Amino acid sequence: MTLTAARPRAAARSGRPSGGAGDRGTLEARAPRRRLSPEKIAAGLTLVALVVASVVSLVSIDISIPQMIESWGNAQNFFERVGVISFPEPGDLLYLTALTVGLVLCGTLFAAFFSVPIAFLAAANTTPGRGWMVAGRFAGVFFRAVPDVVLAMVFVLMFSLGSLPGILAIGIHSIGMISKMFADAIEQIDEGPRLAIRAAGGTTLQEFTSGILPQVLPSWVATVLHRNDINLRGSVILGYVGVVGLGLEMSYAFKSLDYSLGLGIALIIFALCVVMEIVSSVVRTAMLGFAPTRRSLGDRLLRRLGMRGRRVDPADTSAASAALARKMSRADARTAALRRPWDAARRRNTVWGWAAGLVIIGSVLISDIQWGDFVTFWGYLPETAAKFWPPSFGSYDAPTMIAAMGETIAIALAATILTIIASIVIGSLAARNVAPSPRVRSGMRLVLVSIRGIPEIILAIVLIVVTGLGTQAGTIALAIGGIGLLGKLLADSLEEVKPGPEQALTAAGASRLQVYAGATAPQGMKALIGHSFYMLDTNIRAATILGLVGGGGVGYFLLNAGQGSRYDLVTTIVVMILVTVLVVEALAMWMRRVFR
Amino acid sequence: MRELSSETNTATDAAASVIEVANVTKTFGDTVALNGASLSVRRGEIVVLLGLSGSGKSTLLRHLDGLEEPDSGTVTVLGEPVSTLAGKRLRALRGRVGFIFQQFELVPSLTVLENVLTGALARVSGPRLGLWGYNRALRLAALGHLDRVGLLAQAYQRADTLSGGQQQRVGIARALMQNPEILLADEPVASLDPESSDQVMALIREIAMDQGLTVVCSLHQVDLALSWGDRIVGLRHGEVVLDTPAAGLSKAAVMEIYGRVATTTAELDAIATELESARATDLIGATAESAR
Ligand SMILES: Nc1ncnc2c1ncn2[C@@H]1O[C@H](COP(=O)(O)OP(=O)(O)O)[C@@H](O)[C@H]1O
Ligand SMILES: [Mg+2]
Repeated sequence: MTLTAARPRAAARSGRPSGGAGDRGTLEARAPRRRLSPEKIAAGLTLVALVVASVVSLVSIDISIPQMIESWGNAQNFFERVGVISFPEPGDLLYLTALTVGLVLCGTLFAAFFSVPIAFLAAANTTPGRGWMVAGRFAGVFFRAVPDVVLAMVFVLMFSLGSLPGILAIGIHSIGMISKMFADAIEQIDEGPRLAIRAAGGTTLQEFTSGILPQVLPSWVATVLHRNDINLRGSVILGYVGVVGLGLEMSYAFKSLDYSLGLGIALIIFALCVVMEIVSSVVRTAMLGFAPTRRSLGDRLLRRLGMRGRRVDPADTSAASAALARKMSRADARTAALRRPWDAARRRNTVWGWAAGLVIIGSVLISDIQWGDFVTFWGYLPETAAKFWPPSFGSYDAPTMIAAMGETIAIALAATILTIIASIVIGSLAARNVAPSPRVRSGMRLVLVSIRGIPEIILAIVLIVVTGLGTQAGTIALAIGGIGLLGKLLADSLEEVKPGPEQALTAAGASRLQVYAGATAPQGMKALIGHSFYMLDTNIRAATILGLVGGGGVGYFLLNAGQGSRYDLVTTIVVMILVTVLVVEALAMWMRRVFR
Repeated sequence: MRELSSETNTATDAAASVIEVANVTKTFGDTVALNGASLSVRRGEIVVLLGLSGSGKSTLLRHLDGLEEPDSGTVTVLGEPVSTLAGKRLRALRGRVGFIFQQFELVPSLTVLENVLTGALARVSGPRLGLWGYNRALRLAALGHLDRVGLLAQAYQRADTLSGGQQQRVGIARALMQNPEILLADEPVASLDPESSDQVMALIREIAMDQGLTVVCSLHQVDLALSWGDRIVGLRHGEVVLDTPAAGLSKAAVMEIYGRVATTTAELDAIATELESARATDLIGATAESAR
C-alpha cells in the first residue's frame, strides 16, 4: 500500500550512477519507459485495421441519404395504411404491461442472484485461485455470448408456454454482463476495511459480507437496474419467438398486418422503457446520492424533493443524545441507544426496502411461474437436446452461412463506427465537465435517455418500413440505438476523470476546447476504447437479432431455422455467433490490457 | 479468558513476554522491509515503534497480527507461533489482538455501530448482515465501547459523515470490541490534525492503562513518541537500532536513529523539518492510496 509512495524513491535510488556510465546512460536508466512495446504497436495496428474494416463495411452497406429520402414515400404509404393508432383494451394493457415488467424483473433478479458467486470467483482480489478466476470470467463471457432470443427459442421448446422461458432466457444471458460488472466492482473496492476485518479475525466469508458487500452494494444495485432497463427493451424481441407479454402481442399484431395496433403497442413499450429508466435513475441516485457525490440533474431533482441523505448533525433526534441531555446514567443511555432512532436514513431505507420487496413479490406473482416445469423439464431434456445435436448446415452450404455471418459482422462494424462518431460528440456534450452550459448537458442527457428508451427492434421496424428491407435499415437502427448506450457510458466516464489535470490546464490559461483535448479526452480515451468494444460485442448479437425482422445477415437464417424446426442449423448458427463474440471479447481484453 | 488472566496472573504476567519477534527478515522484491529485526514486549508495556517513513514499522506490526509472513525468523504472540498459524487458530489469535490503522479503514457506507460490531466477528460464526445480525448483548457492548470513546450519540450515523478524529475513535472502539489483550496501532494519528491527534493518543493510552493492555504503536514524530511511550524502539532500514525506556531520553539521542548526531540547534531544526516533510510524504501517500 505504501508501495505507490515508495516505488519512485526506490527506483530513483537504484537508478543512481553506478560508475562511469556517464550522464546519458544514467538518464536512460532513470527515464520512465516511453518506448512503444511491440505489443502496443500490434494493438494499435489492430485498432486501425478494425476502423478500416468498419469504414469499408459502411461503404459496402451503402447507406445513401438520397435513397432514404426517396423511400420516405414508403413511410407515407405505411402511415396511410396505419391510420389511427390503436391500443389493446385497458384491462389487457395493464395486465400485459405488468406481466412484461414482472417477467423482466424476475429474469434480472435471477441473473443477479447467480452472478454473486461467479463474480466472487472472477474478481482478482477475492478469487480462491487463478484457475477459478479464469473460469469465472469465462462463464461471464460465455453467458453473454448466447443471445437471449436464442435461449428463449430453446426454452420455449422445453417448457410449457408461459413466462418461464422468458425469465430463464433473460436470466441466463444477463448473468454474463451482471457477473462481469459485479466482479469489476469488487476489484475496485478499498481494501482497507476488508483488511481491518481480517485483522480482527474475520473469516473470508465475513470479509466479504462485512467488508466488501457494503462497499459494492450501491454499484451492484446500479448494475442490476441498468441491466433491467436493457432487458425490458430486449423483451420486445423475445415476443417474436413466443415469450409472453407486450412483445408477443406486438408481433401478433404486425404478423396479422394490424399496423395500427402494432404501432400502438410499440408506443406503449417505448413509454414503458422511458418510465423504467427514470425510476431506476431515481433509485440509483437515492442510493448513491447519500454520500456527498455528484451534482447531477437527478441529484438536484432529488435534493429538491428532500430525498437526499443529509449530514446528520450531532444534535440529531438520536435517542442517545436525548438521553444524555436528560442526564441519564451511562448504562441507561447505552440501553436507550439500543433502539435505533427513526432518523431520515432509517425511514428512507425502510421505505425503499419494503417497496423493493413488494415489487419483487408482485413480479413473481404476476409472472405466474409454472414451477412444475422444473420437474417435467428433465423429461424433455434428452429429446430436446437430440434435436439440437449434432449441428449441421441443413440445406445450406458452409460458404452461404459464412457469408451471412460476414454480413452480420459488417452490419455490426458499420453501426459501431457510426455510433462512436455520434457518441463522441453527444457524449462529450453530455458530460458536466465538458458541456458549455448545464442546459446543453441536460439537453444531451435527455437525447441519450430518449434514444435508450427506443428499443432497437421498434426502431428497426420503423426504419425497415421506411427504407425497405435490408442491411441499411439494420445498420442505422443499431447505430442510433447504440448512441444511447455509448453516449451515456462515455459521458459518465468523462465526468469521472480526475479533475486535477483539467484544473491545472484551466489555471494555465487554456481554453475550454484545449482543456477538453488536453486533459479530459486523454483521460477518457481508455474508457472509450473499452466501451467501443463492448458496443461492438453488443452489436454483433443485436445484428443477429435484427435479422429476425428482416434486417439482413445471419439472423434471417436463424429465424427460418427456428420456424422450420431445423434445430441442428440453429446450433450451427449459435456456435458461429458464439465464436465471433468470443473473438471480439478476446480482442477487447487484449486492448484493455495493452492500453491500461 | 482475558479477564481471568489479567485478574489472577497480573503479578506473574508482568514478567511474561507476550510478543516475541526473533530475527525476522522480510523482503518485497528488491526492498528489504525488515532486516533481522528482534523485539520482545512484556504484558502491559506501552511501546512506541519510531522510525522514518519506509523504515519497516508497518511491516513489523503486520507481522504481529499474521497479516504478513516472514521470510525468515519467528514471531510469537501470546504464546502462539503466528508465523506458522493458519485458518481457525490464526483467526482466533487475531481476535485477541486489536489493530488500529492509519487510514481508520472503516466501511464508509455502514453506520458507526455496525463498524464497531465487526470487531466481534471473530467470536461469532458465519456472515453478519446489518445491525440485527448481532445479538443484543453484542450491540450493548459495542455501544459501551462507543460511549468509552465519546461517540455514543453518533452510533447510527454513517461512518463517512464523521471527522477524521472521530473515525479513528471508531477504529479504537472496533479494536476494543475484540476484547483484545494486545493493541497494535500503525501511525494512528498520521492522518489527523494536531488537536485530534492529541485526543486520540491520550485516549489510546488511557484505555490501555485502564484495561492493562499491551500496546505497540508506530509513530514518526519524535516529540510525541517521547512524551507518550514507556519504551522507544527505533527502526532504521528494517533494523532495530534503538531500544530503551522513554524516561530521560533526549530528543537529540533519538535523532541518532536517523543516522545523525545533532550538535547544534540549527541542525536539530533541520532534522525537525525533515521529519515534517517525511510526515507530509506519508500524507500524500495516504491520499494516493485512498484515491485508488
Ligand atoms: N506490500 C508491499 N509491497 C512492496 N513493498 C512493500 C510492501 N510493504 C512495504 N513495502 C516496502 O517495505 C519498506 C518498509 O515499509 P513500511 O513497513 O510500510 O514502512 P513504514 O511503515 O515505516 O513507513 C518500504 O520500502 C516499503 O516500500
Ligand atoms: Mg507505515
